[in-house]
Amino acid sequence: MPRRAVYTAHGMTPQELEANLASFLTQRLGAPVRVRGLERNTEGFSQETFSFDAELGAETRRYVAKREPVAGLLEPYDLEPEFRVLHGLAGADVLSPPTPWFTDDPRVLERPFYVMERLPGDVPLPTPGADGGGPFTPGERESLAPQIADALARLHAVDWRKRGFDFLGVPGAGRDAAARELARWEARIASAGFAPPPLLADALVWLRRNLPDAPEITLVHGDFRLGNWLVKQRGDSATLLGVLDWEMVHLGDPLEDLAWCSCELWRGGTPFAGAMIAPEAFAAAYASASGRSVDPIRMEFYRVLAVVKMITIMLTGIRAFNEGRTSDLRMAIFDHQLPFLFALLALARGWLSGG
Amino acid sequence: MLIPIERLIDGCVQTLREEVLPEVASRAVRGRVWAVLDVLNNLRDRVEEKVAAATTEADSARAALARLAAALRANADTNGAAAIESALACAPDEPPSARAASLRAALADAIAARPQGLAETEREALRAHLAGQVLRDVMLLKPSLLSEISKG
Repeated sequence: MPRRAVYTAHGMTPQELEANLASFLTQRLGAPVRVRGLERNTEGFSQETFSFDAELGAETRRYVAKREPVAGLLEPYDLEPEFRVLHGLAGADVLSPPTPWFTDDPRVLERPFYVMERLPGDVPLPTPGADGGGPFTPGERESLAPQIADALARLHAVDWRKRGFDFLGVPGAGRDAAARELARWEARIASAGFAPPPLLADALVWLRRNLPDAPEITLVHGDFRLGNWLVKQRGDSATLLGVLDWEMVHLGDPLEDLAWCSCELWRGGTPFAGAMIAPEAFAAAYASASGRSVDPIRMEFYRVLAVVKMITIMLTGIRAFNEGRTSDLRMAIFDHQLPFLFALLALARGWLSGG
Repeated sequence: MLIPIERLIDGCVQTLREEVLPEVASRAVRGRVWAVLDVLNNLRDRVEEKVAAATTEADSARAALARLAAALRANADTNGAAAIESALACAPDEPPSARAASLRAALADAIAARPQGLAETEREALRAHLAGQVLRDVMLLKPSLLSEISKG
């Protein structure tokens, strides 16, 4: 039986993928390239991620290729806007991976993909550790939290007009940023084809009635959170080395990122924002780093929207699995992750409290 | 559950055949994997979802909808109350999963039909069911293996 299913879903073997990548890189770099050690990474549930080494003579460069999946969590897929942002962020002080190449030529890897440099560090996951705690030691938490807050502030300070990111769609003044985001996720709920359950229907009514004004429009990563940070952990301290997974990047309210990063989804079994520090302390660190005030009304809106977004992502994956467009069983596990999400939604909307 | 049991078993079979077996070198372990496949193939058409959970949800949802209809009548929303009473009358008796799904949809429709939000008495009519159902659903779950799934 050919060794291919995890790698390609269709025709190409890993050897063919390596050869095609080598040919692609040879053209881009203008020198013969050999590709070694192609490996499908396990962390990403959305796009397909491959790491590999490219040998140019005696030099070895480390790259990652991100490819559109056949089906998945954030349909419909379009890798090009994410590439354009990552490519356009070259030289910006935001810890994004240098991302030199993109192609939608299906002859190379069957589907559109881009290549980025592989940054050092590991990706701590937002899941409880064996001891029930999060992925960081107290010393790592203390040293990492201000770095994360600072990185988010720097990301929001990017001059998106100057870098030509208007193509992402510029929200109008007032409530438009919130309205556009809510509309984006409501459309995805409709596409998933499941009637919203009662708690989701309730959250959508509340979100529509409570759209907050955005006093400014910034670049918004969209998925800035534990699980998308490259970190060097040393036990007594930790260093943030990279910010990954920009596929939900857009222009909007910067507090959307802060609320997403702080919310219960990414606490790794701890009570802490990003498994680092108390959410209020993290908000204060971001406020200090960015010079922005953290409006609790906007934060509450984006906190509820965060859970709605995650439910929607899971519904989209379940639909793809139900329809047989993917055999990836990781989509199926969302069917029994959803109750946790609905519990969070019930908490956020006050259904589990006395009033 | 949003994924039918048959589809879940089909997914397990496909994963084992196409993704796991090609990576297994040991003949002894390959034999065990084939045995699992044989069990799953024969299980597929002989199992269905347990009815107890759906029955509990349906009973709870029916009571909540009745309370909501009463609250709406008390708030002079007779059309809203009538719509809920109609949905209650139309919900199928069997199977329990269809009854629960029908009443769940009626609840969602009743909430979505009030873009101004529920009045406090209407919200109280639903609280015991929505809170209870969330907790019942969570209680059924096994500890997550998400960390292992992500790390490989």
